[in-house]
Amino acid sequence: MIGMYQTGLIAAFICIIIAFISLYQETDDLHRLILTDLAEIMALLLIALVATDLAEALILPGLVVMIAELMALAEIYLVKEGIQRKKISCPLDIEVIQTAPPILAGILVLYGIILSGFSGGAVAGLGIIFYCVCKGSDEQFALIETASGYAWVAWIAAFFIFLILPEQWFFAVMIAGGAILVKVMAKFSLIGTMSGDPNV
Amino acid sequence: MTPEFILGLGLILLGTMSVAWPSPKDYLTRLINLEIPAFGLLLVMLSFDEMLALLTFIAVTTVSTFIFVRVIGKREAIN
Repeated sequence: MIGMYQTGLIAAFICIIIAFISLYQETDDLHRLILTDLAEIMALLLIALVATDLAEALILPGLVVMIAELMALAEIYLVKEGIQRKKISCPLDIEVIQTAPPILAGILVLYGIILSGFSGGAVAGLGIIFYCVCKGSDEQFALIETASGYAWVAWIAAFFIFLILPEQWFFAVMIAGGAILVKVMAKFSLIGTMSGDPNV
Repeated sequence: MTPEFILGLGLILLGTMSVAWPSPKDYLTRLINLEIPAFGLLLVMLSFDEMLALLTFIAVTTVSTFIFVRVIGKREAIN
């Protein structure tokens, strides 16, 4: 009788082989970019099979690296193909896009603040991206970057509290959770401004 | 072995094949098929009670879909 971990491992290796065969056969660059995302899912599956808190702690940085890599590769692709400066000629005209963003973004941001920490930042940032994509954006980058910088300082300060005053750990956890929430949210909201403006 | 785990592995296997060899071979079909292994991974995470990873994965998958749609839209605009 083989266990859960072994079963998962066999399935993961079959999937990895399939993904890399198709990646090898592919010649179009954009198809390859999409298959890269498939390979990322397989890597996350391998980590998730560990099934402890360690897996959870390893998946979060994996996701950050995945999104950063994807954004960089997408930009490189656009530059390489010479379609960086062209605007999309067909703006979507759907009524839901006009009415839904404030409600949905509000729910997502509220839920993110309740979650706090990294996941909360990602959920709240998603709400802001959705709002920016639908409504268009003209916010000040300097303000977002300042908030992000102060959040970074608060995060480091929380770690100093952990080291110097370990009995105040709950206070430090709260500071670190709030700071990483603001930081991830600020970084994610920058993605929301990518859609229309050719300069971003 | 929980039902979520078996279902998740099945979805990942089927989804990988459908992404590797999509039927009309264009970008959008591949992108939509990519949701199938992602959903399978969510089920596997659910069976191991990895709640934080699950929530963050949902958020990040949405962002990556947004990035792909933007690139594909720009690519299709010039053709």
